[in-house]
Amino acid sequence: MKLTKQEIQFIDNYLIKNEVKFWDVRLELLDHIVSAVEDKMTNEGISFNEALLDVHRGFGNQFIEFGVSKNKIFEKGLYQSNAGFKKFTRQKQKELGRKYRKITWKQLKIKLTSVKFLMEYIVLILFFVFIYKYFPKACFFTGLLVLVLPTFYSAYYYFKNKSTRKSLNFAMATSSAMAVWSIYNLSFYILKENYDNVADMPQIYFVVVACLFYPMIRINLEVYKKVYEENKRTYNLKLS
Amino acid sequence: MSNSKLYKGSLNTIILKLLNEHDKMYGYEITQKVKALTKGELKITEGALYPALHKLEAEGLLDVEVAKVDNRLRKYYKLTETGTKETVNKLEELADYIKTMQALVNPKLA
Repeated sequence: MKLTKQEIQFIDNYLIKNEVKFWDVRLELLDHIVSAVEDKMTNEGISFNEALLDVHRGFGNQFIEFGVSKNKIFEKGLYQSNAGFKKFTRQKQKELGRKYRKITWKQLKIKLTSVKFLMEYIVLILFFVFIYKYFPKACFFTGLLVLVLPTFYSAYYYFKNKSTRKSLNFAMATSSAMAVWSIYNLSFYILKENYDNVADMPQIYFVVVACLFYPMIRINLEVYKKVYEENKRTYNLKLS
Repeated sequence: MSNSKLYKGSLNTIILKLLNEHDKMYGYEITQKVKALTKGELKITEGALYPALHKLEAEGLLDVEVAKVDNRLRKYYKLTETGTKETVNKLEELADYIKTMQALVNPKLA
């Protein structure tokens, strides 16, 4: 027995009400729940409400029927607990973080053995040496420009396409790309303890940090772009 | 499931083996296939299946393909090249484990 478009929409709304806010998490849950409900209705001969409540419990969302009147079991049962869905999202988030870290390290190894990238890297280092030698006061802002690239990138994609909003894939790719920025921030604050203003800080520090983090930033941007393209494709398919 | 703890450690191998035999499968299909193959003896819960699938994907053993089916999107999982190689290793490990357990539990059959 196939569910109607309205019944599928009901399940999607039920997931939203249960705080499954990321659309890319919801799509997998939705397909599983619809398939399971259709199967139960066909093979066990139960109603849509009974089947959905059964599947809801199957995901580890506890439901205590005690004290709930029979005519309210479906309504109360669906929204009493979303612990199972929360766990599902948390585990997916953890694995996505692991996935992007793994991809980043793998790409870093490839990049550091690529002649084309090494040439690009040497040009960047020479550029920073030039800045340091002739315009030392510009080191802070030039270094900062390299380090904030992931922030610009994420903001650009966020406004460019709706698929990036409320997407766990994109949120995790962003958090992975921002990791470098966090390390920089931490080291900057340690330095700030000893100097009153940026101009007094050793300018070589900004040059070294920017050059050191550049390969990682470059890879993060590539991973970011890849996630964006994949996400956009899936989102467009969803809307089609 | 008769004793879920005994099967828990083999869940990844079961998923990899199924995907090795099928071009691509979606989550619910995997649970139903396992249920059918074991005549209802082994039922993989949603709470166990998806973390395992997402973990295998993060490890680069599985790849994902999304397609539109019956007014909704469906996420298909398939083995990567590394996943295919890992399936062979995992199945060998499982065979060794079964052999060892056989020797312990029923030495005559080992």
